[in-house]
Amino acid sequence: MSGFVKEDETGESLLGTNVYLKENLKGTSTNQYGFYSITVPEGKYTLVVSYLGFVTQEFPIELTKDLRINVNLKSTAIESKEVTISAERDDRNVESIDMGKDKIEVEKIKQLPAFMGEVDILKTIQLLPGVQSAGEGNSGFYVRGGGPDQNLILLDEANVYNASHLFGFFSVFNADAVQNITLTKGGMPANYGGRLASVLDIQMKEGNNKKFSAEGGIGFVSSRLTIQGPIKKDTGSFIISGRRTFIDLFFGPPFVKKSSNIYGNKYYFYDLNAKVNYRLSDRDRLFISGYFGRDVFRYKSPDSDFFVRVPWGNTTATLRWNHLFNNKLFMNTSLIYTDYQFEFEGGQDAFSFKLFSGITDYNLKSDINWLPNVRHNVKFGGQYIFHVFVPSNASAKSGDIVFDLGKILRNYAHDGMIYINDEFDLSKTIKLNGGLRYTLFQQIGPFDRFVRSPINGNVTDTLHYDAGENVKTYSHVEPRISGRLSLSPKSSLKASYTQNYQYIHLASLSGISLPTDTWIPSTDKVKPQFGTQYALGYFRNFKNNTYETSLEVYYKEMKNQVEYEEGFLPENTVNDNIDNNFVYGKGWSYGAELFLKKAKGNFSGWIGYTIAWTKRQFDDLNQGKTFYAKYDRRHDVSVVMTYELGNRWVFGATWIYATGNLNTFPQRLYVLSNGNVVEDYGGQRNNYRLPSYHRLDISATIKSKPGKKFESSWNFSIFNVYNRYNPYIIYFDKKFEENSIEIQAKQISLFPMIPSVTYNFKF
Amino acid sequence: MQFHITQIRYILILIASISLIGCEKNVTVEIPKADEQIVVEGYIETGQYPFVILSKTLPFFGSINTSTTSLLANTVTGALITLNDGTTIDTLNQLAGIDYGIYSTVRMRGEVGKTYSLTISVNGKTLKAVTSIPNPVVLDSVWWKVDGQRDSLGFAWAHLTDPDTLGNCYRWFAQRINHYTYGDDIGKIKDSTFIAPQGSVFEDKFFNARSFDINAIRGQFLNSQKEDDQNEERIFFKRGDTIVLKFCSIDRSHFEFWRTEETQVGNNGNPFGSPAPITSNIEGGLGIWGGYATTFDTIIAR
Repeated sequence: MSGFVKEDETGESLLGTNVYLKENLKGTSTNQYGFYSITVPEGKYTLVVSYLGFVTQEFPIELTKDLRINVNLKSTAIESKEVTISAERDDRNVESIDMGKDKIEVEKIKQLPAFMGEVDILKTIQLLPGVQSAGEGNSGFYVRGGGPDQNLILLDEANVYNASHLFGFFSVFNADAVQNITLTKGGMPANYGGRLASVLDIQMKEGNNKKFSAEGGIGFVSSRLTIQGPIKKDTGSFIISGRRTFIDLFFGPPFVKKSSNIYGNKYYFYDLNAKVNYRLSDRDRLFISGYFGRDVFRYKSPDSDFFVRVPWGNTTATLRWNHLFNNKLFMNTSLIYTDYQFEFEGGQDAFSFKLFSGITDYNLKSDINWLPNVRHNVKFGGQYIFHVFVPSNASAKSGDIVFDLGKILRNYAHDGMIYINDEFDLSKTIKLNGGLRYTLFQQIGPFDRFVRSPINGNVTDTLHYDAGENVKTYSHVEPRISGRLSLSPKSSLKASYTQNYQYIHLASLSGISLPTDTWIPSTDKVKPQFGTQYALGYFRNFKNNTYETSLEVYYKEMKNQVEYEEGFLPENTVNDNIDNNFVYGKGWSYGAELFLKKAKGNFSGWIGYTIAWTKRQFDDLNQGKTFYAKYDRRHDVSVVMTYELGNRWVFGATWIYATGNLNTFPQRLYVLSNGNVVEDYGGQRNNYRLPSYHRLDISATIKSKPGKKFESSWNFSIFNVYNRYNPYIIYFDKKFEENSIEIQAKQISLFPMIPSVTYNFKF
Repeated sequence: MQFHITQIRYILILIASISLIGCEKNVTVEIPKADEQIVVEGYIETGQYPFVILSKTLPFFGSINTSTTSLLANTVTGALITLNDGTTIDTLNQLAGIDYGIYSTVRMRGEVGKTYSLTISVNGKTLKAVTSIPNPVVLDSVWWKVDGQRDSLGFAWAHLTDPDTLGNCYRWFAQRINHYTYGDDIGKIKDSTFIAPQGSVFEDKFFNARSFDINAIRGQFLNSQKEDDQNEERIFFKRGDTIVLKFCSIDRSHFEFWRTEETQVGNNGNPFGSPAPITSNIEGGLGIWGGYATTFDTIIAR
């Protein structure tokens, strides 16, 4: 038997729903598209379909031939109080083979305190154990010692290369348009890859196919509006969701005087998400979705000709076709376009300067899910991506004179993979998941390789490759294996081994992810990153699955890591390949993650604790000695709580604690004969640890009386309740006196206590 | 070409943080004490005697005495310094009559096309460095031009034809040799020495074998208290000034030192500055051993 599980109210697909037979507890859960399939001998069964937050449904069935049972689940919130939830099989975290995997419900995120009222998916996943934030003003995240470029962020299967707005203060994901979020940080199945650390898979809502509805909100920094509805009832639907900040409106008169130093600034960002889906037949479904977002910063000096214009942002588009061959074979094929562009333009008088970088992907992929019998769940498929990279390029002119800042250098690459993965029950207690992934990456021309003299660094030769010509080809096999051993119905032991190759690299100057960071592919000089991860976990549930706990330990090795060489300056890339300025090394990371979650009841939440070590070794950095990575963090704690009071009030609180980041500080000074006082770093890296970071946020949400057509809610949040001055940066202020210099370390903290109010509505 | 991407980034973050509510406080930072190192600063110019100043590094924190007496007292004496120009080896001696670590010789002068290897033995350590005096590139013409709408202030300009070999590096200095006829320093010479402005070094990577105009601001010493380094004359040459330009060709490692030094000095005090280490050509120590192929031009600003 097979079928689709959907949400009754909106018609949205429900993924990860438990579907099983009461008689023998054989079962499965729905895939990404809400599809399930169970194969059992003929007979009488009771099919149970359950999902947390929804009313469990049971269907007595008599199986004599293939059956299609589509199920619509009703939300418990909509049902009246009398309906009691029948015993659910919500021991998924113990029973499933998944480890290092977290699924987050968007509705839960919305109940948590939000910074400046902006509900932020990336901030929430940083509350999970093993996932570190880099601190304030940075939405890059660090999973098990990996860099921000080692996370694959997918929005409806499309790569999002820069997931932040406003230099990392906000993420690009508008929570109103998002349906599901799944983070995989270990034991990555073979259908995912291309990144060493994690996969963050975000699916946009499909749109309500029953009725039209609108929702939106107004917060401190932005306002949002989402409209969704059926194209044809029960057959097709659409959703369109937009968000724009309005702080720029306050940067002009009458709010800011012309004499003010912030006058002339203009900054805003906006996002647009849209999705259409249509059921062509009982077996075919078509989806088209897209995202478009831009940050725009403009500055025009009020009293000179100096100006700066900086736009950047992502564009993604996905065309997806779900096809059901038969009850056991399900296919999803997607055509995906992704684009990230960054531009900087500045100038004064006749002189102007432009800098740009970007990446564009054209992607075709197909995944097939084959469920031959109840013991096997086989997935196989392939993907092909054509990448166009524009690493940092610049142009400049003064009047009619155009400076020679080099040809616009681009990198082109073919990126292909095929995989097969089988999740199967070996015995009653042992479940295994084995996968193989074969990847092929080819850098092709047109390409110019500048050959630098090792003696004086001058470019001495240029190797030219014609369009389509092979520059360098890499191919690798990546084995993945994971297993689960049930110790009891309430506890299990899991283990996984993962190998990963990553063919793209992010060259970051500061370690903070900024829009200026450039993506570059593996080339004839830059070898692909290679990661190996071993993980072991113990999972145990208590009190009828009310409490879920887990302890995971991991060890990870990363090879061919990339950093800029010491003393690198951005203009070194003019008339040169960016990767001529890299040095290569390795990294490793190990640690333990403890997770305690209360999943049910009015009072719910979790505590996550991580202890970890992250190290790097580069022959050409730190005199070849091992050093701790910038985001090496010994302790990381997060506490997340929500409490529902009656059916109108929800209170939320989060508390986080993190060991301070590492910084590189000078070791000595010397004075030159021109009077300059300069610093020497002694070739050392990350020699100073900043003070620790901790913060408490609280929130209260009041909803309008249930049962009305127009629903609204007010969310009151307080960020940094006890007003902790967390370090953002420490720098050294030098005060010059006539015959002396005073050096004082100064700490900048970004956010003191900030209250915010957001109004949301829905009808 | 002083518009670095790093600077762009600072502008971005700075503006972003100004618009938010940040705060700043003094903190105490404890870094393990680092050992002392020897700093070399030595030059050899076309037709001039070589000289080398040896000094010690200073600890990073607290108050640093920068008076001339204190800095001279920080120099390192008693070093054995030899200089090899490829044909002869000579010894650089401590200047006669003073007890400071400044060394020179009158038996050798800088010559175009020669490579100079320096070996220093001091306190049981050996330091080595190599520099050269490349072929000089003479400016085609020089002039002074009023800047925009200003009435008597402007920059020094020059027309440069870069040779068609890639890898030419340049450094620019200027000195005003006329005397003040106004202000606090009336009667004194405007600049007592050649001053390199911020952005004084550049290479022909951007303009190999091309012919074009370049200009430069007027440099000043760090923390200069002079009146015209503070008021509207800052960075400008004034109508009536007699400007001597010293335009030098330098080798690549010499260029790298000043380029990284200027980057670090430019980043100074910038809270968002990522570490900008200085690239030194001294093996076993810090600092610079640099050769200059000099050319001189004079401009009367009018």
